[in-house]
Amino acid sequence: MISTATVPTDRFATSTGRAIIAGVILALCLVALSFISTNLVQELFGYSQNIKAREPTFFIRMGLLIGAIAAAFVLITSLSYYKRNKVAVAPWMFLSIGLVFFMIYVIVPIFQSISYSFTRWNGLYDINGIWTGEWVGLNNYKLLLNDPNFYTSLWNNLLWLLLFMLAVPIGLFIALFLNQTVRGIRIYKSLFFFPFVISQVVVGLIFTWAYNPEFGLLSEVWSWFFCETKTNIMGNLTRVCSPEPPSILGDETMATYGIIAAGLWPQIAYCMILYLTGLNNISSDQIEAGRLDGAKGWKMLRHVVLPQLKPATFIAIVVTVIGALRSFDMIATMTQGGPYGSSNVLAYYMYDQAVGEGVGRYGYGSAIATVLFLIMLVYISYFLWRMYQDELEAR
Amino acid sequence: MKCKLNFSIASIAAAVLMSTSAMASDLIITFDDLNPDKKAAYDAAVEAFKKANPDINVTANNGDREAHKGSIRNALQNDSPDVITWYPGNRMGPFVDAGLFMDISDLWASDESLSSNFNAIKPTMTRDGKQWGVPYSYYQWGVYYRKDIYDKLGLSEPKTWDELLGNCDVMKEAGVTPFTIGTKFLWTAAGVFDYLNLRTNGYDVHNDLTAGKIKYTDDRIRATFANWEVMLDRCSFVSTHATMSWQDAIAPFANGDAAMYVMGNFSVGQYKDAGLKDEQIDFFQFPEITAGLPRAEEAPADAFFIPAKAKNVENAKKFLSFVASAEVQGEWNKSIGQLPPNAAAEINTEDKFIVEGMETLSTAAGLAQFYDRDAPAAMAKEGMQGFQRFMLDPSTLDEVLENLDKVQAEVYK
Repeated sequence: MISTATVPTDRFATSTGRAIIAGVILALCLVALSFISTNLVQELFGYSQNIKAREPTFFIRMGLLIGAIAAAFVLITSLSYYKRNKVAVAPWMFLSIGLVFFMIYVIVPIFQSISYSFTRWNGLYDINGIWTGEWVGLNNYKLLLNDPNFYTSLWNNLLWLLLFMLAVPIGLFIALFLNQTVRGIRIYKSLFFFPFVISQVVVGLIFTWAYNPEFGLLSEVWSWFFCETKTNIMGNLTRVCSPEPPSILGDETMATYGIIAAGLWPQIAYCMILYLTGLNNISSDQIEAGRLDGAKGWKMLRHVVLPQLKPATFIAIVVTVIGALRSFDMIATMTQGGPYGSSNVLAYYMYDQAVGEGVGRYGYGSAIATVLFLIMLVYISYFLWRMYQDELEAR
Repeated sequence: MKCKLNFSIASIAAAVLMSTSAMASDLIITFDDLNPDKKAAYDAAVEAFKKANPDINVTANNGDREAHKGSIRNALQNDSPDVITWYPGNRMGPFVDAGLFMDISDLWASDESLSSNFNAIKPTMTRDGKQWGVPYSYYQWGVYYRKDIYDKLGLSEPKTWDELLGNCDVMKEAGVTPFTIGTKFLWTAAGVFDYLNLRTNGYDVHNDLTAGKIKYTDDRIRATFANWEVMLDRCSFVSTHATMSWQDAIAPFANGDAAMYVMGNFSVGQYKDAGLKDEQIDFFQFPEITAGLPRAEEAPADAFFIPAKAKNVENAKKFLSFVASAEVQGEWNKSIGQLPPNAAAEINTEDKFIVEGMETLSTAAGLAQFYDRDAPAAMAKEGMQGFQRFMLDPSTLDEVLENLDKVQAEVYK
């Protein structure tokens, strides 16, 4: 150590002693690990489940793993290559831990579920922890092509994406409307923002009750126009309507629209708040300059205000697309995909086939998940490309 | 090291215990019903078992029924209790096939009660010629009806299909919707289908259908759906059934807007909670459709199983034979208002529904477990969606049946 400090040319030399000790520890840890856990690849891809995870070897393995990582760090930092290229290598070392977890919890599961999609499996391991499924090649995808429920779900996904976009213009409209200085405007703003604060499940329940054709808000209003109250055979009051109030969530032609309408309520609030913050940042110089040039009303909005709101619009579209793809919770609370699967989307159909109510078609569910992943990949790629372009421009 | 240390502490503790009393052993039970009456009956039985076996250290767990359907997978594979509740019939199939339940045929052969008093239910506990569990309770299905409406219209309990349809005509004339039902969660529609199929084609055909040996487009099954279409036409169901749960559907029944309900006996308590008195409601067996067909009934059972990874197998078997005994079965089912599978057990003779249920089931030619337990879960899900779709729009029948054939071909491979 002293020699490296005093002789400048040795600054980048490998500290041999440290490297050797770290290397030996690393090798020992790796050898011990490979002895304890056999079939690492199989375990990684879920084809065998280590049912002894809770036993002491689990902690030993964790200890060995952490030991190996620490030894690797020490080894790398004592190499002369690292000392020469500190600036380039150090960020990757900080990133590596995050990347490892990203691999384990995001990347590997993606490939796991793609690999399950070629199998028929009911989600069970037998008593020895051996995977009970069988390989069926492309069979699940063939079934998918013949499955009417799959097309219904796909179509509904598309409907969600299209109709959910209404949240952006409506949100903008409300934001423009609320962007004024009147007494108590903060209260009005909070009231408009309120639905976004409520959980999606609660929104789903509120709308389910409102739609209920027996006792819902909608049927109350309906009964002012079309219903009369009669006494039935047992002498109790009962309501007779003609025509009957619409059963929105019980009718295949209306169920999806009903759920989308419920989902729009909080989404509009979200877009509104994005635009409100955007409006705060609009430069008043440009507004004034526009006004001097005689711009008013629509022209002012179109040519002066909207261009300045472009970042807000981009974010609003992104969160709305994500919201449309996250429609799972609304569907789960409002219809469970019913009536007879007509309000399913791919995400819910996947859950339903694999995990829901013990149906246990894990292979088929994985095939649906893979298709959904491919569709989302298009959107994600566009999004990343767009971000990349923005970065280039910023430079 | 730590593990060794623990082990040595445990062995010292064990040694101390051994010196003071006989060797204590454990028993872990996992139950799946938190409803107050069900929970009380289970707790009482566990207490009685503890009293009878003071040397066994019993841990009694209880959890939500729907959550149990998901968590049992993990429980059987990783963290097994010694006794666990699950459903017989095809619902136990995947776990039996994966070797996760223990074969208890020896207990069925040696135990006094199991070998002699469980003959009616034994087939549903059997798979591959072996027995896998012990049922603690079951209940009848049938038609629950408003006796006061029937009396007012001068009707009597129908024995045949034509009588039922005739009754429906009179009710519709009087402005009463004959049947209530809530199909939001699908399974209620399966109850109607099961009965129509059992009465049209009989137990064997129904069994073959749920076992995947008969196609849904088979003429016999089409005949069932033809009867269902007649029923939809003449005995209409409440029109908004697709948005109602089975509990919601009680409202028109209690209000007198609808007069009949195809249901299981667990629903009686809910009718009474909705304000109906005992004399206002009654029960009849689903009427005969094909004359001369032996009468089969729906009778879903709940049962205890021993996971293959259970650690205290002897104690688990002791508990199962305790649960099978006539006294325990009688007590248990009296307090939850259901029927004991043990034929020698006493029933609550003051409850007219229990008396009629016992009569219905003990004279039945065969017992079905309910569509979503007889058919594999993947088939049942698709089938019940098909039933709901057919009920909402009978003209979709061909499409529904063809789709079910497709799913069937895949699921039963």
